[in-house]
Amino acid sequence: MSAESKEGYQVHEWESLKGPFNASYGKVMMWYFLISDTFIFGAFLIAYATARMANVSTWPMASEVFNTLPGLTGHGYPLVFVSFMTFVLIISSVTMVRAVQEGHMMNKMGVVKFLIPTILMGLTFLGCQYLEWTHLIHEGMTMWHTPFHPAGSEIGSNQFGMFFFTITGFHGLHVITGVSINIWLLVETLKGRFEVLGNYGMVEKVGLFWHFVDLVWVYVFLAYYLL
Amino acid sequence: MDHMSQGEYQQGKKDVYRTTIILSIVTVAEVLGSIAYEHFVDGTRWPLMLFVTAMSIVKAYWIMKVFMHVGHERKGFVFTLLFPFVFLVWAIICFSAEGSHIHVMRDSLNGIFF
Repeated sequence: MSAESKEGYQVHEWESLKGPFNASYGKVMMWYFLISDTFIFGAFLIAYATARMANVSTWPMASEVFNTLPGLTGHGYPLVFVSFMTFVLIISSVTMVRAVQEGHMMNKMGVVKFLIPTILMGLTFLGCQYLEWTHLIHEGMTMWHTPFHPAGSEIGSNQFGMFFFTITGFHGLHVITGVSINIWLLVETLKGRFEVLGNYGMVEKVGLFWHFVDLVWVYVFLAYYLL
Repeated sequence: MDHMSQGEYQQGKKDVYRTTIILSIVTVAEVLGSIAYEHFVDGTRWPLMLFVTAMSIVKAYWIMKVFMHVGHERKGFVFTLLFPFVFLVWAIICFSAEGSHIHVMRDSLNGIFF
């Protein structure tokens, strides 16, 4: 026996079109994917915590390593650039939420209006991360060597570079993925796909991923730059 | 998907902008607090670490509750999302202790072979 089909999709008698917890299947799936991704980032950050505690006396100080601004000389700007990057991501999250809200109101141009700054700020963040990476590599920090620890100290604090590039690189990969999906979303919105479908649920799911990227950055920022 | 009413929409917009202000204030407090603390206090760092960790939890709370809409989800669902973090916190504590122990042992063993 099959129940009423929706747009040609045959529904089995024990299958419901509504998802669990009064949310759509897609949204619940996205949430559980995000929890699993949290554990992956968690694993990286926990390994970082272990390495840092093992070398706590010789670990480079964040405010002494990250104290320049691109284009300016001198080292008098502790944590300024990375704070700017954090703000960029947080504001991009705000515009993403507004896009989701406009989607709830079936306002196509509203969604477009807020997806565009989200994408632009994602690209800005990537550009900033590129500048940060090239600057640090130029100063001699690579995956396998950190020049900032006191001379003659533990080999262990050389891991600063390895953890930095791995963790921010993995996060950057997520930002690239998020920006790409947002561009796809913008194109599909402009094509009118969600008007035809009758709901903007896809914007909400992509929005969840984007907020996750922002939240991970909050914790990478905390672990590497503040603590 | 259910569509919103105008009232919910306006309230939603207000919530988002109010949360943005909260997040901005918290971030500024974190960064300025970090720099000021390191400038004026030379020595114990744990009060600062506690403060910035607490602020990050505050930020995560507001981002999840308002931006990710968790505040409007079913309570059972929210529990399934938040419970795994117990394991994450447990792991952070254990592995930090592990690292600290390595540090202590490495220092005490220094000079035995080299």
